[in-house]
Amino acid sequence: MKTINIFILFIVVAMAQLFVPAQMIFNKESIIKSGVAYKFKTQPVDPSDPFRGKYINLNYELNAFVTNDSVWERHDKVYVYLESDSLGFAKVNDISKRPLNLAKDHIIADVNWYNSNDKKLNFNLPFNRYYMEETKAYDAEVAVRQNERDSLPNTTYALVYVKDGEAVLNDVVINEISIKDYVEKDD
Amino acid sequence: MNSKIQTDIEELVAQRVISVDVASDIERYYSSKKSDAPNRLFTVFAVLGSTLVGLGIILILAHNWDDFSRSIKTIFAFAPLVIGQLIIGFSILKKKSATWLEGSGVFLFFAVGASMALVSQIYNIPGNFSSYLLTWILLCLPLVYLLKSNALAILHIAFTTSYACSFGYFDGNDTPWFYLLLLVLVLPYYYQLLKQKKEHNITSVFNWLVPLSVIIVLGAFVERSATLGFLMYVILFGLLYNIGKLPYFDNQKLRRNGYLILGSLGTVCMLLITSFEWLWNDILRDNFLFNSQEFYVVLVLLILTLGVLGYTYFKKWIEGFNLFQYVFILFTIIFFIGWSNSFTSLVLINLLILALGVIAIKIGADKFHFGVLNYGLLIITALIVCRFFDTDMSFVVRGLLFVSVGVGFFLTNYIMLKKQKLNSNNKK
Repeated sequence: MKTINIFILFIVVAMAQLFVPAQMIFNKESIIKSGVAYKFKTQPVDPSDPFRGKYINLNYELNAFVTNDSVWERHDKVYVYLESDSLGFAKVNDISKRPLNLAKDHIIADVNWYNSNDKKLNFNLPFNRYYMEETKAYDAEVAVRQNERDSLPNTTYALVYVKDGEAVLNDVVINEISIKDYVEKDD
Repeated sequence: MNSKIQTDIEELVAQRVISVDVASDIERYYSSKKSDAPNRLFTVFAVLGSTLVGLGIILILAHNWDDFSRSIKTIFAFAPLVIGQLIIGFSILKKKSATWLEGSGVFLFFAVGASMALVSQIYNIPGNFSSYLLTWILLCLPLVYLLKSNALAILHIAFTTSYACSFGYFDGNDTPWFYLLLLVLVLPYYYQLLKQKKEHNITSVFNWLVPLSVIIVLGAFVERSATLGFLMYVILFGLLYNIGKLPYFDNQKLRRNGYLILGSLGTVCMLLITSFEWLWNDILRDNFLFNSQEFYVVLVLLILTLGVLGYTYFKKWIEGFNLFQYVFILFTIIFFIGWSNSFTSLVLINLLILALGVIAIKIGADKFHFGVLNYGLLIITALIVCRFFDTDMSFVVRGLLFVSVGVGFFLTNYIMLKKQKLNSNNKK
């Protein structure tokens, strides 16, 4: 193959390599700019990933909804329609296997299991990772646990922007302070 | 030139075995032969260096620097990627050496991973590990062909294997069908190596890497029926052995033939595992599923292996009877007999292992290959050791068995050594 042809093909590959992360960024930025913000009450624990570093795993209080539809397989997609309660925290309006014609924001969650006793469908929200500076991830978990002991009810929540079924986890907040700053304040 | 050869030549000159002229001729021959060696060494160091730098960048970025704003982090995400691309573009246009292309290719490979990882961090994208690896591998695959880079092809196979493991074994119990596609996509490159660089060391690296990768991943294709997994693996090892027996691979040095060695070792290991009674009791408890994914995988592997064997037969490449080539057929039959009568299967498998040991000894003796000879003896020893765990033999019988195998080791090696000496004396 001629050098110039190889070079042209390489440019195409290079564009693709640039396009994938760039597209991820544009997509997420547009959600943050024009999406609706919801607060999800949560509890963090800290694992890590070999390439992407430390993150805290978020266990959400909002993880189930009562439904009469009992045919669910693990890892099915479920459309979760959201609204805010009187305190401003997110709650489920409705769930469905297919998109519904509702004037509500929705996210697509992952089915965990169906509890036929209390007819609840348990699901995992698709934004359960919050990346943190490696020295802060463990402190964050401890801080949240301490805060839970000191104050009732749970005041830790994740700030999530939602638009057209996609979501971006923007921040985790303890007592109205971003968890990054909260950990520093503790030191 | 090798320093040992250098000292040997000096000694030969000093002892007046060869003249000074001959010595300088020999030296000139070796130095002309090794002219490309430092270049190759440099390539290896370039690849290692780029790998370390690339991984280092990933780790530094994984610290998640909180003090930087989102836009600065974004610039960091793209900087290594763009630098890597510029270096490669420059290398292509200036027709730089393979060392450049290999080194910068590896750097770009890791830069792609780093940039996607950092974007995932900035926006807290959960995406599981296997889908992240898949995107990464696909984005770098064309580089293997554009740069004709061995290092990238090796990375491709290694990361593809890692993807299949994380998808099939760790993230859930799904079947990594994409693995097959990714492997097929790199095969043309491997085929070119086999055709054009048959004698190169790099080709034998692939001769080991490709079968190893398949062996590691095959288990992920087991969905429910673990029972059929055993049969799957025995047939896969049969396939590898028969590929290793194709004249192309068989005529090369044994250490270059990963197919043959892995196929043979794997077959013996699987047979030893299935020669235990408790395993068959467990297998029989499992329901057999004809209409399962495992059954179809077994079927495809069986057809492939029979195809390779048939082709070898058709081309008249088979010299004499070598039981190792047919073990997969015999085992398949024994496996199904075991469904109704596990005792018969157990006896047959034990006999089969014994026969394989004897045949390996015979092959070793015929070829004067001490490695193969002792491999055969090891197979028999392993069989005896395994039977120690589940038979009620008296200690005297066990002791006698061990003594006789030990004597066998000694005698066979001794006889062969003598024969070899006799042969070399006759030749003189």
